[in-house]
Amino acid sequence: MTVRLEKVAKFFGSVRVLHELDLDVKEGEFLVLLGASGSGKTTALRMIAGLETVSSGIITIAGRDVTNVLPKNRDVAMVFQSYALYPHKTVAENIGYPLKIRRLPRPEMEARIKDVADQVQLTPYLARYPRQLSGGQRQRVALARAMVRRPKVFLMDEPLSNLDAKLRGHMRAELGHMQHALGITTIYVTHDQIEAMTLAHRVALLEGGKLQQLDTPANIYNDPANLFVAQFIGSPSMNVVRGTLDGNLFMAGGTKIMVPVMGKVAEAVLGVRPEDCALTAPEDADVNGNIYAIELIGDHTLVTVKTESDMLTVKAAKDFSAKVGNAVGVRLSKDNLYLFEAERGVRVR
Amino acid sequence: MSIFESKKLGEMAVGTKIVVYGVLGIWTFIVLFPLYWVLITSFKLPIAVSGGPFYLPFVDFLPSLHAWSYIFFDLGNDTFRPYFNSVVVAVFSTLLVMITGSLAAYALSRFTFRPRLLTILIFILAVALVIVLVAALGVNWLIAVTVGVALAVIGAGMFRRTPSPTLGNPDILFWMISQRIFPPVVAAIPIYVMFQQVRLLDTHVALILTYTAVNLPIVVWLMYDFFVSIPKDLEESAELDGASRIRIFFEIILPLSKPGLVATSLLVLIFSWNEYLLALFLSTANAQTMPLLVAAQNATRGPQWWYMSVLIIIMIVPVILLALVLQRFIAKGLLVGAVKG
Amino acid sequence: MEHTPLETWQTRAVDWFDRHSGRLFVLPASLLILAFSIFPLIISAWLALSRFKLGSEGYELIFVGWNNFRKLLFGSEQYHLLGTFMPTSWLGWLIVAAAIVLIGWGIRSFVTSGHVTVMGTIGRLIAFGLFAALAWLFAATIGDKGQIGSLSTTIFYVFLGVAIQFVIGAGLAFLCSLRIRGRSFFRVVFFVPLMVTPVGIAYTFRMMADMTVGPISPLWHWLGLGGFSWATNAWSARLVVVLGDSWQWIPFMFLVMLAAFESQPKDELEAAELDGASGFQIFVDITWPSVAPVAATIVLIRMIEAFKIVDLPNVLTNGGPGIASESLTLHAFMQWRALDLGASAAISYVLLFTSTIICVSFFNFVVNPARRARQ
Repeated sequence: MTVRLEKVAKFFGSVRVLHELDLDVKEGEFLVLLGASGSGKTTALRMIAGLETVSSGIITIAGRDVTNVLPKNRDVAMVFQSYALYPHKTVAENIGYPLKIRRLPRPEMEARIKDVADQVQLTPYLARYPRQLSGGQRQRVALARAMVRRPKVFLMDEPLSNLDAKLRGHMRAELGHMQHALGITTIYVTHDQIEAMTLAHRVALLEGGKLQQLDTPANIYNDPANLFVAQFIGSPSMNVVRGTLDGNLFMAGGTKIMVPVMGKVAEAVLGVRPEDCALTAPEDADVNGNIYAIELIGDHTLVTVKTESDMLTVKAAKDFSAKVGNAVGVRLSKDNLYLFEAERGVRVR
Repeated sequence: MSIFESKKLGEMAVGTKIVVYGVLGIWTFIVLFPLYWVLITSFKLPIAVSGGPFYLPFVDFLPSLHAWSYIFFDLGNDTFRPYFNSVVVAVFSTLLVMITGSLAAYALSRFTFRPRLLTILIFILAVALVIVLVAALGVNWLIAVTVGVALAVIGAGMFRRTPSPTLGNPDILFWMISQRIFPPVVAAIPIYVMFQQVRLLDTHVALILTYTAVNLPIVVWLMYDFFVSIPKDLEESAELDGASRIRIFFEIILPLSKPGLVATSLLVLIFSWNEYLLALFLSTANAQTMPLLVAAQNATRGPQWWYMSVLIIIMIVPVILLALVLQRFIAKGLLVGAVKG
Repeated sequence: MEHTPLETWQTRAVDWFDRHSGRLFVLPASLLILAFSIFPLIISAWLALSRFKLGSEGYELIFVGWNNFRKLLFGSEQYHLLGTFMPTSWLGWLIVAAAIVLIGWGIRSFVTSGHVTVMGTIGRLIAFGLFAALAWLFAATIGDKGQIGSLSTTIFYVFLGVAIQFVIGAGLAFLCSLRIRGRSFFRVVFFVPLMVTPVGIAYTFRMMADMTVGPISPLWHWLGLGGFSWATNAWSARLVVVLGDSWQWIPFMFLVMLAAFESQPKDELEAAELDGASGFQIFVDITWPSVAPVAATIVLIRMIEAFKIVDLPNVLTNGGPGIASESLTLHAFMQWRALDLGASAAISYVLLFTSTIICVSFFNFVVNPARRARQ
């Protein structure tokens, strides 16, 4: 089912936590709300659920205006960061609770519980209590409880952040698979860009209560709308060099770089991702500097180069070898340079 | 100060050990001896009481069941009726106060209240008006209350848009809890008059309602802390699962605050079971409770210790049994309140 | 969802209830408090300013202004509420001196604290004023031929009783927290008096304190006190009331303090032990500060309840000898029985003001600072 937010805003007293937000989630879409803490992403999700009131604007689910509808009548299911399992109920009772409220006949209820328990591999644990389960199993109970009543929309509030790193990767894949199989519209809140990039059909990046960019993961990465998006996405994050733009020439200190855009900006920022930089001999480089740090990651090496005024991180081959302090040059891939106005962060195209 | 020196008994000096156990032993004696004395007195013949202290049954005196048979058979209903009254009043007032108090505490822990000072002021004025009408001008209280309610509603409507300072949840919570400071004797006479007006004096209902009100602050105070400690996620999850508020309260919140419920109920039950002053005001014959019956034993022929002892024993044994079963909850329940208050 | 509920009046009623559940949940409790606490309080105030008269057709209330209070504070009933005034004895002067020192210390620490506010000043004026007045009252009535009234008796019950209960309760709790064997046994046994009905305690203590046939009468005779009757001496009668009350309430202090001692931060204790602090130092620096907020709170709770004491003096001593062991509540009850409703209400208002001011002051000057120190 579709979910639409039209100019939805939220104030807590006089503090504005969400500026007028427009969002249009398509049927069966997996939309990720990405942002740091305090960006307003959780507030937006809770407003869709009905757990927060809306200060202004309209929310519709499946075409029906639900702005003032009670949460229980919105037919959405939510998976909480803490899983919110009822500690005094068994796994089966936890999963069956939404059905019990809807007074489903007992045989049907049991069949449905068994069905979802099979899907999330919880069948052997149905008689246990949440405290007797591992973190990953609890997570799956929460998921099963959301799935069992086949809601119009899934809402997920950082469902993986309480798991350890290894399990998180595994559950991420399962989540993606499950959503694909069920085809239920899903809105997912996270601060983890890898979750966002791997799971989402589209990512909505929020900061300071404002929507920064809403696009597919590939576009968010390759075509960031502004400096914030460019720096938020990507690990390690994008290198930035401060300088001036005059025509298609970017000048910073003594260096001049030809860039693929035209413009005249007194205070500009040049952005380039570490993988679009290469280490060369100082004489045929765009920027010169000395090696500051070398970190072997595994399949590649991250080399930090200290230039006159900035630090540049360069992704190099894993067999790269040099000494800290060596003079070195950095060449930038001309097609993958991004330019921004320094003050407002607007992209220069 | 050697007692402070070590944390484990095994490391204590022998002298310290003797002091610690000595003190605890003496206190055990102080606690148990009066109860023992009551117990043996209940088996004594009057002569064994007035003839001087006799300590050991079968050795010092011959135990007799005369007092027990008098209380249970000769007095019969005169014992059982107050006992039944006490049970009814204590149980129902405990149930009622746990429900109303928990509901209020839960609401205060979850919802934001912003009552306007102006509205409260209008309300108080209306109440004052009703009292003046009834007490000073002799208007029928039904008419007066109707007038008061009407004026309060109209007044609140008229000043709906007038700006006014508001109170918050902590103020309401404090208001409810602070009621416990008021000595019951201040309210006793008006409550007496109130029940007289509605012809409920000397009934169970009067005592149940009064005890409910008197114990309400304790319940609100202790349960509030329990509810605050329950994560909000659980309720929100239940809300999205489709549960109504009442359902969430009874199916999610109450089961999760069981330790607090048990401790608070027991405390309130004991208070109602032992209450004396208000029962003295509000009940005479029909609704007489056990504390009154015990107190009345002083009557004509001087205190009859043997009967009194039987009554005291049948009064305290059920409570002690109940408390012993539940006692580990109590300290926990009280501590939560005391620490966070 | 295939089970979309139909819009019936039931679902609409439930929805309405859900939207207003906050107010609806608070409503029953608020109504109860209004009906049984606030309204009666207002009516009592009215009664305190009136004279109640039984007439041919029911009763009559005549507004008499401050007459009831005047009679109690300055008139014919003064001996009952405030006591009989006599020239101040050396004990009286001692009390006055102690009060002056305490108030001076209070003012000094307030002025030097650097947080002098209007509300703080007003609060302290009221608190210190009442404290000074009570000290003077004690000093002026405690002398040889004097007699303290029900107000002073109540204060005596509250302060001595709560002090005894706290010291013994906390002491026992500390001993029990020393990981000794048999702790759960002591915990269960010490808990029992809390369950006993106060009326029962009153009779039990009358039996225990019987000088001729009570269990400790041989001891009295051996000490040569056989002829002494505690019930005929004002102070010993009051003391027996305090002892009975303490026997009941020490368990409460014990239980909560034991829980507090047991939940003190283990890592702080261990760190202090590693730092080489002595046992006594650890108690003073770590254990005591960590339990102080709880201690202050339960002392407050006990004070609030102790002001209401009535069953023990009524049954144990019947208020006697004379009026010596009457508490304010008992005094008010006696006046009610004598159908002097105005005086009864006035006395209960004296109790209300005294207990409220003392409890609120205690909360502001003791409980709150103790809590703040732990944050």
